[in-house]
This record gives sequence, C-alpha cells and structure tokens, in this order.
Amino acid sequence: MAISKMLLVTAGLVMAGGLAQAESKLADTSDKRIALSNNYAGNSWRQAMLQTWEDVAGQAVADGVVAAADAYTTSENQATEQAAQIQNMILQGYDAIVLNAASPTALNGAVKEACDAGLTVVSFDGIVTEPCAWRIAVDFAAMGKEEVDYLASRLPEGGNLLEIRGLAGVFVDDEISKGIHAGVDEHDQFTIVGSVHGDWAQDVAQKAVAGILPSLPEIVGVVTQGGDGYGAAQAFKAAGRDTPLIVLGNRQDELQWWAEQRDANGYETLSLSIAPGVASLAFWVAQQVLAGAQVPKDLTVPFLKITQDTLDEALASTPEGSVANVTYALEDAQQVIADAK
Amino acid sequence: MTPLARPWLWSWLAAAAAFSLTLGLTSGRGASELAYAALSFGAFAAIVGLGQMLVITLGPGNVDLSIPATMTLAATLALKGMSSDPGTAFMGLAIALAVGVGAGAANYALIFLLRLPPIIATLAASLIYQSLAIWSNRGLRIKPPEGLADFATGRVLGLPNVAWVGLLLAVAVWVVLERSIWGRWLLATGQNLRVARLAGVPVERVRATTYVAVAVFASLAGYLLASFSGGAALNMGQEYLLMSIAVVVIGGTSIAGGNSNVPGVWGAALFMFLVVSMLNSYGAGAGVRNVLTGAIIISIVIAASTRRART
Repeated sequence: MAISKMLLVTAGLVMAGGLAQAESKLADTSDKRIALSNNYAGNSWRQAMLQTWEDVAGQAVADGVVAAADAYTTSENQATEQAAQIQNMILQGYDAIVLNAASPTALNGAVKEACDAGLTVVSFDGIVTEPCAWRIAVDFAAMGKEEVDYLASRLPEGGNLLEIRGLAGVFVDDEISKGIHAGVDEHDQFTIVGSVHGDWAQDVAQKAVAGILPSLPEIVGVVTQGGDGYGAAQAFKAAGRDTPLIVLGNRQDELQWWAEQRDANGYETLSLSIAPGVASLAFWVAQQVLAGAQVPKDLTVPFLKITQDTLDEALASTPEGSVANVTYALEDAQQVIADAK
Repeated sequence: MTPLARPWLWSWLAAAAAFSLTLGLTSGRGASELAYAALSFGAFAAIVGLGQMLVITLGPGNVDLSIPATMTLAATLALKGMSSDPGTAFMGLAIALAVGVGAGAANYALIFLLRLPPIIATLAASLIYQSLAIWSNRGLRIKPPEGLADFATGRVLGLPNVAWVGLLLAVAVWVVLERSIWGRWLLATGQNLRVARLAGVPVERVRATTYVAVAVFASLAGYLLASFSGGAALNMGQEYLLMSIAVVVIGGTSIAGGNSNVPGVWGAALFMFLVVSMLNSYGAGAGVRNVLTGAIIISIVIAASTRRART
C-alpha cells in the first residue's frame, strides 16, 4: 500500500515536472479564435453541454487565454447543413473548430477542407473518422459491458434482462449494445428476453417498455443507454410489476427517483453516462493543440459513474431537470493527453 | 354500403390483429395490461391525430407540421408555469391552451397574410416554436404537480384517464363534423374550395378556426404527455409528426380532403402502438420493424381505398 502510494506520488511528480516543462514551451494562444460546431440542441444533455461550453470557454475568453470561443448549432441535425457551417467557419477565419458531428463520415470532406486551410479540428462525442482531426471518444462498448458486469455482481444467480436501446442507426447505440451483448455472453446466467428502442427519451422508452412488458416473463434487470431509465421505471410501475434493477443514465429525474426508492425500500443501482462537460475537455484540447503541444489524435475520456455512495453528492450538484455533469479544466485536459501518450 | 366498405374498419381490424398476434406469443397472458397500455399511449396519438384530421380535411396541401413543436412549447411553458406547485393544474392547462391558440393563430397568419403554402408556413413556424421552447427553459425537466401526474397516469372505470380525454374529444369532433354547420362548412371547403366560397361558406374563417383547433389539440396532447411521463422534454413531440399524419391516413380519412373519419383515427392510434409492441415482442430488430411497419401501413391504406373505390 505504502509503496504503491509512493510510486503514485513519484509518478505524479514526474508528470507534473513533464507538464511544467511542456508548458514552458507552449505558445501564447490569446489571439486564437475557436468555434464550436454542434449538430443538435434538442435535449437536456445537449443543453447542459452548451451551458458548460459557455461557462468554460467564456471564462477562458475573459481570462485572455483565447480571443474568441463562439458556439454554433445547426437547426436540423443534418450533415449537409453542418458541412456548410464548417465551411463558413473556415471563411470566418477561426483557428480551431471543436466539433460534435452529425455523422462520423459525412463531414470528412468539410473537415479535410478545414485542415487544409490550417485549422485545428477536434471532434468529441459525435466524432469524425477523417485522420487529420483529433478525436475525443468514449469507450461506449466498455460502458455497456460495465452495466452487465455490475448486474452480475448484484445478481449472481442471473435471470432475464430487458435491453433499452437508443436511436436506431446511430453509432453510439450500436456500440453500447455491442458492449451489453458482450457482457451477457460472458455472464451467461443472464438472458436478454426483450429489446426495445427508447431513443434516449423518457417518454419514448416508457411507451416502448409498456408495449413489450405484457409479453415478457419476470425481468430482474434493465440495461439502458441513458435518458431512458426513469421512463422504464414508470412503465414497470404502471404495469403493476416489481421494479427490477434498472441501470440509470445520470439524468436528474433518474437520480431523484433512485434516491426516493433508496429511502423507501433500500433500492440500489448504478448510474453511468458520458458527461456533457466533455465539451470543455474538447475546448482545452483544441487550445493545447493551438499552443503547439504534442497531442495524440485519439484521446479517451472516462464516463461519469454514480454509485450508491456518491448519489447524494451527485444529486446535490445537478440542477433540477438536467444531467449530472463534470467540468474539465486545463489540467484535466493535460492529464488526458499525457495518459494517451 | 357493405360493412367492409367502411374505411375506418380496416384500422380497427389491423389493431385487433396486432393485439391477438402479440397475445399469441404469451398464450393470452397480459391481455388487459396490453390493452391498457395501448389505450394510454394511443390517446396521445389520437388527440393529435384528430387535429391533423381536421386540417387534412381542409383539402390538398393543408397539413400542420408544427404539431411536435407546439406540443413541446405548450408542455414546456405549462410545466414551467406550474413549477410543480400543487393546485396549479388548471393554470397549467390554461397556459398550454393559450400556447395552442397563439401557435394556431400564428400559423394561419403566415398562411393567409404571406400566402405561404401551409407545409412551408407550419414547418418554418415550428422552428420558431422549438427555439422558444429551448430558450424558455434550456431543456430542464420540471416535474408536474403531483395531483396532475396522478390524474394523467390514473384510471376511471378501468380506462386510463388520458383515454377518456381522447374519447371525449373524439365524440366532440364527430358531433361537430356530423351535426354542426361548421362541420358541414369544413367538409364543403375540403371538397371544393371555390365552390364552397361561391356557395357563401366563410372559407377563410373555417380555415382559421381549423388551424387554431389543431394547435390547441397538439398543445393539450403535449400538456397531458408531459404530465404523464414526468416532465416536458425538448424532443417529446418528435415522433408525433409522422404519427399524426399516419393515424389520419390509416384511419381512412381522405388525404385529398373533404372526407373525415373520426373512429378510424382511434383505431389507427391503437394500431400504431400495438404494431410496434407486436414486433418488439417477436424480437424484430429496428430495421425489420421499420420495414414491416411501413409495409403494413401501405397495405392498410391500399385495402381501405380500393374497397372505397368499388362502392
């Protein structure tokens, strides 16, 4: 224990030294302008993401770290519209574009144009495959697998699971589902007896679950993708069934419901999702690239996990009706970059 | 007119078939659960469908594409106004309905004053309504007051309360269409606008009230849906755009206008819920489900329309 702690401290010191050294070589970015190109704003997660951007990037502008950090959102969530938006940003003379993309491939042409024009492109959440861009990705498959691992630790005897998927045809939905199925293959005491698409929306999930429940046997656990757990709980309640173990997705109404259940009957579960604050991480990564830091093209951001122990804390810090969030600072970005090297 | 020639029959037959096929899987277990869920969720589709039916009845080119945004805006403002305080349910309802009247009047103003085609006018207006909803509350989900949530998820005489609201509205719309002068005016306008105008029907007044009516129906559906599902979300109306048109068409209302069908809307609303439940229960993937849903809708519409043509 003591040795490992000492090792950690040493590693930390070495890293801090490395960082300080790296920082001294970094260029000034106070005349650089960064734009956020965002494809969608129509849910609470995206709203929290835009809010975080406004807070963090706005503060950075006020502090003189960068000259501008403007956010732009397309109205129709179309790749063509976003490609035109990126072309506008090139013409407007931005130095970097932070991108949450409508499609992993359809924007590659526009992203390439931006790179050729000398812009730095950092994609996050909805990433692009164009090699010249940076990618801040979440290991969604690991997130799906972690859900099943957790269920296995809580329900060692296994049973029937209901899977709630996201929006059909979206990369993230496929990845999380892949992880969940990999988890079920590993823990073969579980069987997925039903699968519905909840579109990451409570009301859609509620409707889909209510429709499939009558034909399902007893369910011991529900694996979800975020934004659908509360709706699932409502559907189980309306059908007069016992509430199974529902893995939640960090929405405030889900956490609130969890706390109520815990106080009433000791309900225990796990909540995990990608934090909307990843936009602030992308902002700092873009700033670091502009400053001339060596940044690997592929970065991984951990997902935000809330457990029984951290529930009250998370609930207290999440605005009512929003999503649990973490804001990343420059040091966090440097840490993520260092981890990827 | 043989019973098979009644266009509304097909949506009910399809709903019944989907219902029994789902239960075939469980050998009859869960029948009442499934029926209850279908009535609950079908009610929202039926309410917006009734509104869309009135607009489509106005004749070719008339459709309201702002339904999802109107639902979202009405629900967002109503829930924000109530801010979960007990005893504010009626105030929230008033806010929602006022949003509906405002949105409907604005839609019609665009259509009448700027001479925009309804598709363009309502689509453009919906961007404004959606933006207002985002701007007013930034996507935060506010819980409905407890009493209202209990009402929206509760039941009377074994039927969900939201289904009662949908049924009462359906009866009201049916009476208005079949028994009132306004209903006759609406059908006449839809059958031939020019003839109706020459015959002395106040065509523009009919169109104005219809566009207000559809928006009020949408806002009521939004208010109920948000109360039912524990809060308004910015994407809550999304699936009701195609849904509202689908239930009208499947329900046997003529897409060319001038011919409404109230019972068909309810049958189609139940069917749209049951067909997804059925395919989910059989474990169909998203791709198969979408293809089959599309194919089934097309065949119902063909069946309903060829029968009608033969009579």
